[in-house]
Amino acid sequence: MKHDMILQILTSIFREIFDDDELNINRETTALDIEEWDSLNQIKIILACEKAFNVRLKPREITAMENIGDMIDHLSALVGR
Amino acid sequence: MSKKTTEIQCAKNRLFSLLNCVPYPFDGVKNLDRIAKKFSKDSEVRALCGPSISIQILSSFTTDYLVDYLLMMFARRGFNASIRAIEYGKIATAILDFEHELHKNPPDLFLILPSYHDLMYRPALGSNFDESDGAVNKEVAFWNNLWRQLPAPAVQLSFSSPIDRPLADLDGFLPGGLTFHSRNVNLGLGRICSSSVALIDTELLAVELGLTNWDDPHTYNLCKQPYSMDALPIIADTLAAAAQGLLGKARKVLVLDLDNTIWGGIIGDDGIDGIQLGPETAEGEAFTHFQQYVDGLRQRGVVLAICSKNKFEIAEDAFNNHPAMILKSKHIASFVANFKDKPSNLKQISSELNLNLDSFVFVDDSPVERELMRIKLPEVLTIELPENPAFYTQALARSRVFPLVNLTPDDLKRSCSYKLRSQANQVMENAADMDSFLKDLEACAIIECFDLSNKDRVVQLIAKTNQFKLNPTQFTPQDFEFDDRKVLCIRLKDRLQDYGIVVVAVLRVINATLQIENWVMSCRVFSRRLEYFTFELIVEHACRHGADEIELIYIPSNKNSLVYEVLEVLGFTKNTTSDSFSINVKKFKQDTSFLPHHISLIK
Repeated sequence: MKHDMILQILTSIFREIFDDDELNINRETTALDIEEWDSLNQIKIILACEKAFNVRLKPREITAMENIGDMIDHLSALVGR
Repeated sequence: MSKKTTEIQCAKNRLFSLLNCVPYPFDGVKNLDRIAKKFSKDSEVRALCGPSISIQILSSFTTDYLVDYLLMMFARRGFNASIRAIEYGKIATAILDFEHELHKNPPDLFLILPSYHDLMYRPALGSNFDESDGAVNKEVAFWNNLWRQLPAPAVQLSFSSPIDRPLADLDGFLPGGLTFHSRNVNLGLGRICSSSVALIDTELLAVELGLTNWDDPHTYNLCKQPYSMDALPIIADTLAAAAQGLLGKARKVLVLDLDNTIWGGIIGDDGIDGIQLGPETAEGEAFTHFQQYVDGLRQRGVVLAICSKNKFEIAEDAFNNHPAMILKSKHIASFVANFKDKPSNLKQISSELNLNLDSFVFVDDSPVERELMRIKLPEVLTIELPENPAFYTQALARSRVFPLVNLTPDDLKRSCSYKLRSQANQVMENAADMDSFLKDLEACAIIECFDLSNKDRVVQLIAKTNQFKLNPTQFTPQDFEFDDRKVLCIRLKDRLQDYGIVVVAVLRVINATLQIENWVMSCRVFSRRLEYFTFELIVEHACRHGADEIELIYIPSNKNSLVYEVLEVLGFTKNTTSDSFSINVKKFKQDTSFLPHHISLIK
């Protein structure tokens, strides 16, 4: 799956979770950039990604992801497999 | 209009549209998490929902995600909830610590959400049943003590079964199995839970949702929430519904439409004989089941009312004279049938019964009537009925609009019939052997005259039956116009159910021989010895018409071998030259040796 397509899906997930239809994210976005991105929402994001991309993320992989770019690379590797 | 009133009006509009996003039942609604978030953020909207209630959660797992859903479900059920939770895993220590905030500043309601990790006396593998009972008693006594210390009423989840069951199927049946232990503790808790604790049947909740949508070990590892995110809405709603019951805010009256709601078709057009109700058709069966469920609600205290666009006399006639009606006029507290709009009629019912509109649940198959009710009387709870009547019961049940947290003598007094319950119990108790089981069912057969009203059912039964059927011969209604043909139709009824027409035999007497041209029996009444009873009637018919031989043609298919066994028991012999079987009437009467059928005849 192409990276920009993954970003598009991620954006819609983020918009839903943070209930903000204007929200935009890019590869460099981290938890520090979105006020409500706390540990609780972090899990919501993970679970929503798992559902949207039909994958399961291992706990170790989850902790290793530091920004949206990491998420995109990781998801693209999983989906491409 | 002042600024304040405008603001309130805006909030009211927001509430109305939010409530419409989460109908009753809310199965299949997408984006529930987003709607829940809107409820949790909008305190103005929640304030409009009803009285404030402070809730203290005591739980053995993370409830951060559950809280949003709780706010929404409590709002939807008429509470403006404020929720506080303590760190998970401290249920007992918090309750037993009298210095704790929950004692100093008690909430209005506790939600207690333990998990099977809270079971403390699980018996070791290999324990016997006595030891297991002892362990269960200890657990129950422990909770009984905790409940007594609670300064406010509580809704509690019973223990859910663990998904990993090392003892496989025996985990639920054998001492030492955790499933067995948790089930028995639940039953023990159910016995002692008083009017201040409502216990949720968690195991049934998991079954309703399906186990794959229920447990989620991945989520547990990530955030100590054992349930899948998809399970949270239904858990929250079940807790909110139980709270309604516990706090005396449950709805009381079920208002039913008639046409296509409790029977199929339009009685004004189709007439009493034309409506679909009863076991003859699939549609009729669906409405019968729905009426049975509604009648069950009535027996435990739900008040019934009718609100229908019909002529009153025609509508009432069906209640009194349709043989398959389960609901009777005497069961209906308020019966309104006219051509006025339904919201006005509902207001009339409300004043007749002297109950507020927020006590009412409205069930109608028409989306237009439902929409009108929702707009005109939003206090009335309108059920979103699916199109297929087979799912009416499920829709009403899953709406959880009549929560029951304990059954009081008053609940039962509201209904007039204890009869069915006690009858069913008697059958269960006496069902030790087949013979007395059949006797206790008090089956009776009714010989129906073959006529216009049942000709379609007769033709259909012959065509559709595969198992108990002599041969592939089919008939059209015209075939039965020959005078020498007799169609024997038997309807079976017992103390529990009316099965409708279940047996058809086509008989013809030619030259002192009675020919059974075909003989079918519905598989729903197998093992009732109805075939013996039927044959006795056939023999009687033969005698009356001076026939001394009975003859039939049996053609084996891959499904009807059962018939052959019956023919053998009855004493038929196969003619060597053809497919026909015959029996001498006199001989049959002499050496009848088959089992008694315990079916009586109603003429």
